Amino acid sequence: MKKTKPAKEENLKGTFVSVMSVGVIIIVMWVVVYYMYVAR
Amino acid sequence: MIAAQDRKLALWNIGVAYIAFLIGTLCGLLQVFIRNDALQLPSWLDYYQILTAHGVLLALIFTTYFIFGFFVTGMSKSLGSFGPKVLLYSWIGFWVTTIGTVMATVMIISGEASVLYTFYAPLKASGWYYVGLALVIVGTWISSFALVGHYVVWRKAHKGELSPLFAFMTITTIIMWIIACLGVVATVLFQYIPWAFGWVDTINVELSRSLFWYFGHPLVYFWLLPAYMAWYVIVPKLLGVKVFSDSLARLAFVLFILFSIPVGFHHQLTEPGISNFWKFLQVVLTFMVIIPSLLTAFSMFGTFERAGRKNGGQGLFGWFTKLPWKDVRFTSIFVAMAFFIPGGAGGIINASFQLNEVVHNTMWIVGHFHITVGTPVAMTFMGLTFWLVPYLTGRKFSKVMQKLGFIQIITWTIGMLLMSTSQHILGLLGAPRRTAYTGYNNHPSALEWFDGILTNHVTMAVGGSILFLSAMLLIYIVVMTMFLSPKAELEADFVEFPMADSDKEHTPKFLENWWIWIGIAFALIIIAYAIPLYGMIHHAPPGSEGFKTW
Repeated sequence: MKKTKPAKEENLKGTFVSVMSVGVIIIVMWVVVYYMYVAR
Repeated sequence: MIAAQDRKLALWNIGVAYIAFLIGTLCGLLQVFIRNDALQLPSWLDYYQILTAHGVLLALIFTTYFIFGFFVTGMSKSLGSFGPKVLLYSWIGFWVTTIGTVMATVMIISGEASVLYTFYAPLKASGWYYVGLALVIVGTWISSFALVGHYVVWRKAHKGELSPLFAFMTITTIIMWIIACLGVVATVLFQYIPWAFGWVDTINVELSRSLFWYFGHPLVYFWLLPAYMAWYVIVPKLLGVKVFSDSLARLAFVLFILFSIPVGFHHQLTEPGISNFWKFLQVVLTFMVIIPSLLTAFSMFGTFERAGRKNGGQGLFGWFTKLPWKDVRFTSIFVAMAFFIPGGAGGIINASFQLNEVVHNTMWIVGHFHITVGTPVAMTFMGLTFWLVPYLTGRKFSKVMQKLGFIQIITWTIGMLLMSTSQHILGLLGAPRRTAYTGYNNHPSALEWFDGILTNHVTMAVGGSILFLSAMLLIYIVVMTMFLSPKAELEADFVEFPMADSDKEHTPKFLENWWIWIGIAFALIIIAYAIPLYGMIHHAPPGSEGFKTW
C-alpha cells in the first residue's frame, strides 16, 4: 500500500507561548488580589 | 455595496449611536472635573444625573444602536438585501427604541431619574423613566425579530446549508439577548412600573436586583459578542487570511448562549438574601463562560501567527512584526483586544466569590468596565466605524482620516490607561464607587487614597480630558465620513466591507440546531435560578417604599 505523506503541521509555537502568557497574566493578577484578601 | 434602503437603516442606527456617544462622553468629562473640584454644576444639574446619563447613554444606548447598525449591514451583506417586511419591522424597532431612549433621557435631564444605569430599588425614578427603558428593550426585540425573519427566509432557500458565519453569530447574539431581556422586562413591567406610578406601595428589592442581574450580565455579552464578531470575521480579512476555524468560532458563540445568563448572582455576592450554595453554583457557571473567551484568545493569536508567517515572519515571534500595523482598522482592534487581557483577568477576580469582597462596589469595578466595555468593545466599534461609515455612505476614507484615526486610538489608549489604572488602584485601596467624591469627613485614611501619583484627582482628570478629546476627534471623523468627505468615484476609492472567508465544510451541522442550545440554556437557567427566585417570592421580606435621595 502506498503511504501518503503527512501534511506539514502548521507552526503555531508563537500562539502557544502567547496564550500561555495570557494565562500567566491572569494567574499573577488573581494571586495579587488573593494575597490582599488574605492579608486583610 | 448593499442595497440603498439597508444602508439608510444602518446609517440611522449608527447616527443615533454617535449622538448618544457625544452626550455620554461629555457627561464623563464633567464627572472627572466635579470630582477634582474644578467645576461647580448649576443648581438644576447634579453629579448623579450626569453619572446616570453617562452610564445609560454609553453603556446602553451607544452600544445598542451601533450593534444594530453593524448587524443590519453585515446581515444584508452576507444574506442579501432585506425584504419589505424585514425593513418595515426594522424601522418600527428603530423608532420604538428611539422613543424609549428620548423618554428615558428627558427624565434623566429633568432630574426625575438619577438612579444610575442599574436603577437599583429602592431608589425610585419617575414611572416614565421605566416606561422609556421598557420601550428600548421592546424596540430591540422588534429589530431582533426582523433580523431573525431575514435569516429564516435565507435558511428556507438554502436547506441543509450552514449559514454564513456573520449571520450565525448575529443570530446567536440575538437569541442570547432575547432570553436575557426576559428578566429585566419582568422586573420593569411587574415591579418597577406599578411601584413608580403608585399602584403598589412597596417593592421586593432582592427580587428586583436578581432579575436585573439575570439580564445585567448577559448584557455585557450583548456588547462583547459583536466585538468578537469583528475579531473572528473582520480581522482575518484585514490580515489576508481565512477565519482560523469555523467550528471553533461557532462553538465559542453557542457556549455564550449557554453560560452567559445563569451567572447573575456573581454581581450579588455580598447580598444577604441569597444562600451561599446558589451563589457558588453561579460562580462555577461564571467560570464556564471564561472558556469561550479563552477559545477566542487562542483563535486570535492563531490568526495573527498564520497571517504573519504568510507574510514572511520567522522565528517564535517574527510574525508579530509582519502584521499590518499601518492599517488603523487593524491596529485599533488589536489594541482593543490587548486591553481585554487585563480586563478579562479582572473579571475573573470579580467573580471569584470571596475575592469579590476586596473589590465589590469600589472604584476597581469602574476601572474594570472601562477596560472591558469602555475599550475592548468601544475601540473595536471605533475600528469598525473607520470603514463601516464610509462603506455605507460611499465616501472616501482619506489618508488624512487614517492619520486622525491613529491619533484618536492612541489618545483613547493613553487616556484610558491613566484613568482606568487610577480607578483600579483606588478601588484596591478602598475608594467607593456609585458615590460622588467623598473624603469621609476628611478622614486621613480616605484622604491618603488620593495622594498617589497615579491615584490623585489630577491624573484622573487628565486621563478623562484626553479621552474626551479623543471622543471628539472620533465624532469629527464620523461627521466627515457620513456627510462631508468627497464621494468615492474611482474603483480604488470605494471602501469595502472586509468579511473573511470561512471554511465550513468540516463544521458539524448540529452547531446550528438552535433548539439544542436554547433548550440547554433554559435548563441551566432553571437549575440556577428557579429555587432561589421562588424563595425570594415565597419568603419575601417586607417590601420597601421608594426613596428619592437627590
